[in-house]
Amino acid sequence: MADAALSSLLAESSIRLDSHAADRLDAVRQCGQALLEAGAVDESYIDAMLQREQSVSTFVGEGVAIPHGTLAGKEAVKQDALVVLRFPGGVDWDGNDVRVCVGIAAAGGGHIALLSQLAEILLDPAKAEQLRSATQVQQVYDLLTPEDD
Amino acid sequence: MPERTVTIASSVGLHARPASLFSQAAAKAGVPVTLTTKAGKSVNAASILGILSLGIGHGEEVTLSADGDGADAALDSLVALLSTDLDKE
Repeated sequence: MADAALSSLLAESSIRLDSHAADRLDAVRQCGQALLEAGAVDESYIDAMLQREQSVSTFVGEGVAIPHGTLAGKEAVKQDALVVLRFPGGVDWDGNDVRVCVGIAAAGGGHIALLSQLAEILLDPAKAEQLRSATQVQQVYDLLTPEDD
Repeated sequence: MPERTVTIASSVGLHARPASLFSQAAAKAGVPVTLTTKAGKSVNAASILGILSLGIGHGEEVTLSADGDGADAALDSLVALLSTDLDKE
């Protein structure tokens, strides 16, 4: 398995387990803000994320959405990174109940491999449930690390 | 069973936005559609997670197959979708 593990792109301070959002765009904005604070993107990336979300929902199922920028927003990416925001109260995502947002900043082709790894995890209903109900940062890390050794 | 082979036209591959548009269209096709990669991995075309898990890049060939009433028409419209650069804004 490729060693570009999801967890290596994820700083501990970028995992927020107790977030609250008024609506889906507010949740996207918070993901963008977290990427900004992680030093991964310029502020303009947040607008690119909002644009993408309004053009096509980034809801992928299993109570998870993966907000990210448009192609045009790629220039605003300084380094590939992820943020994980958990919304215990849920966010109404066009009628879907979202509990976890994985915000993505990706400049190059790393994007596809990254999404593929994340999708593999979410295709396992037990792991998806663990991600939705995680209360410890370490639990999120463990889930997003494909192999333990 | 009717099937079609198509090359992914989207410049960055079948990722979030194109994958989302494609799986939504597959879900509305009225018949179950299967997408198979050249490596032989198959997923339900209506499952965005399934599609994303394959990590399909630009220029890769995939095969779509479906069975039942309207399968041919459904496959034709899905092939047209994959032959379009869905990343174009």
